[in-house]
Amino acid sequence: MSASAAIADLYRDKYRRVFAGVVSLVGEFELAEDAVQDAFLAATAQWPAAGVPSNPVAWLVSTGRFKAIDAIRRRKALRELEPELQSRIAAIQADNGEVSEREIADDQLRLVLTCCHPALDIQTQVALTLREVCGLTTEAIAAAFLVAPPTLAQRIVRGKAKIRDARIPFAIPGPEELRQRIDAALAVCYLVFNEGYSASSGAAHLRDDLSQEAIRLGRLLCALHPDAETFGLLALMLFHDARRAARTDGDGDLVLLADQDRTLWDQARIAEAQDWLARAIAAEPVGAYTIQAAIVARHAAAPSAERTDWAGIVGWYDALLEAAPSPVVELNRAVAISMRDGPEAALPLVEALAPALSSYHLYHSALGDLFRRTERSKEAIAAYGRALALAQQEPERRFLARRLAELAGCDEM
Amino acid sequence: MLLAYVAESAWTPDEALACVVASNRVCDALRARGKLVAAAPLPPAASAASVRVRRGEVLVTAGPFAETVEQLGGFFLIDVASLDEAIAVAAEFPPAQRGTIEIRPVQPLDGVPDVRFDSPPLPGVTRYVLFCYDDAEQWEAAGPAALAAAQAEAAANMQQLASRGQYVAASPLHPVTTATSVRIRQGKRLVTDGPFAETHEFLGGYLMVDVRDLNAAVAIAAKHPGARLGTVEIRRLLDPTSASPV
Repeated sequence: MSASAAIADLYRDKYRRVFAGVVSLVGEFELAEDAVQDAFLAATAQWPAAGVPSNPVAWLVSTGRFKAIDAIRRRKALRELEPELQSRIAAIQADNGEVSEREIADDQLRLVLTCCHPALDIQTQVALTLREVCGLTTEAIAAAFLVAPPTLAQRIVRGKAKIRDARIPFAIPGPEELRQRIDAALAVCYLVFNEGYSASSGAAHLRDDLSQEAIRLGRLLCALHPDAETFGLLALMLFHDARRAARTDGDGDLVLLADQDRTLWDQARIAEAQDWLARAIAAEPVGAYTIQAAIVARHAAAPSAERTDWAGIVGWYDALLEAAPSPVVELNRAVAISMRDGPEAALPLVEALAPALSSYHLYHSALGDLFRRTERSKEAIAAYGRALALAQQEPERRFLARRLAELAGCDEM
Repeated sequence: MLLAYVAESAWTPDEALACVVASNRVCDALRARGKLVAAAPLPPAASAASVRVRRGEVLVTAGPFAETVEQLGGFFLIDVASLDEAIAVAAEFPPAQRGTIEIRPVQPLDGVPDVRFDSPPLPGVTRYVLFCYDDAEQWEAAGPAALAAAQAEAAANMQQLASRGQYVAASPLHPVTTATSVRIRQGKRLVTDGPFAETHEFLGGYLMVDVRDLNAAVAIAAKHPGARLGTVEIRRLLDPTSASPV
């Protein structure tokens, strides 16, 4: 491959890695962006004659770092710098710019943790992560989240200013804090995925891209911080994504899991998800993402809704209630029990959740379903009616309206 | 700058005292590591005076600049390397358990006299801290030239105070968009973006002075450019010596 083709490939595929290596050192986004540009320019000037170095990413990172250090020097003398930055610069110069694979990975993790810092609001975390870690453009992120590009640009500017002025460090914290911080990064990743997966307004393909980006980010996190929950989240996203084609019908209406055409499920994705799930369970400790992935895995393995391992699913919901207790998990567990033991067994469990979930449309919809299955159509109509009044999204509203119409038909007969 | 906001009703007098004692212990540990610049508890917010200047007229009202449940009960100036370190320090202070500690990065300003937290006020002199609350929209509307002029005017005021021995310290803070709030609830550390409460005007800086009485402090507040577009809240330091490293 020619030097210029190699550079073009690196620019497309490895730019964010190089950027992470530079920004983690100097802690300034604009400066790092310029320095990385300069490093690629230097490669264009030197590689055609000198040949492509054996580790081109490491070459670009160390060149970018030297460019950034030069720029800092032009602004102020080295001795005026923060002691920490001073010593890192000294270390880099001492080992003559050798950058290891491990160091590059750590720098990427530093960048992820900085972008997902809890001192930034969650929307800013998402925007910064997508732009600085994943390399999406401001316009693409804005389109996916249905906000005006200037609004998103402002969010990113504010986020960077906060990182700079409040000195959010580009650092990997100690073990006890790292868990929380990784969880925050996983939460951002899953939020991006769900934004692309569950919402149905806006341009569908942009939202699909968002899910694919989240899966890419999930893979990156698995490489940077291999642990049970990171694997579990990737498995969970892959399982969901495998069902994408079956989730909506030709009119864009939601198709419930029970009614999906299972031949449309992406078996290769499911197999990959199962691998990650097995790794997650082996890695321990089993956390909420892994448990959710295990539940979805039971569905993915089932030939139909009836022939699903509902007993196994109830067991995993019991585990989820312990790991991450919430009324919504209790509701889902009750629905699984209705599949295992019949709707009569689940009704009292669901009704007991009324105080906590009375304003949640899926609560009323689940209740309506149980009434429908026990042939209490009057109660079912009332419950679906409450669900329809609370539901926000169009496809869900259409689904509920259909159910109501069916029940009204039964009633007349 | 760490600002401790607590609902004053959250403590019994004994608990409030215990909080000050425990906070002092944290301060001692920080001081030993060279990370404490200054710290001071504040008297109840009801004793505050707020100063605004509108159309050239000085308006002084009793009480803090905003009626919030949680009120500024003390502050700590610390010198740390990163926000993570500031968060760790904030989590150690007892007010984080019942209220909120707001972390605000301090912005260096040229032309300001050297701080003298270390020298206690002379006999017959009281130390006040003036908290300057700004309306960012107003300043934006006024434009960057007006802001630069205001900063120069403030710096000149401080030089004048210093020449009279009245100046202790002053600094603007970075905009409120850089604020981070820390709370401890059920033993868990909660870190959130933003200030402790959404108010219309936000703390933009502080000025600490040694003067004879409240009226002298009001006169200084009235001259501060921030009083013309925002509010300057005057709080007497509870124990003047605790503002200086002992």
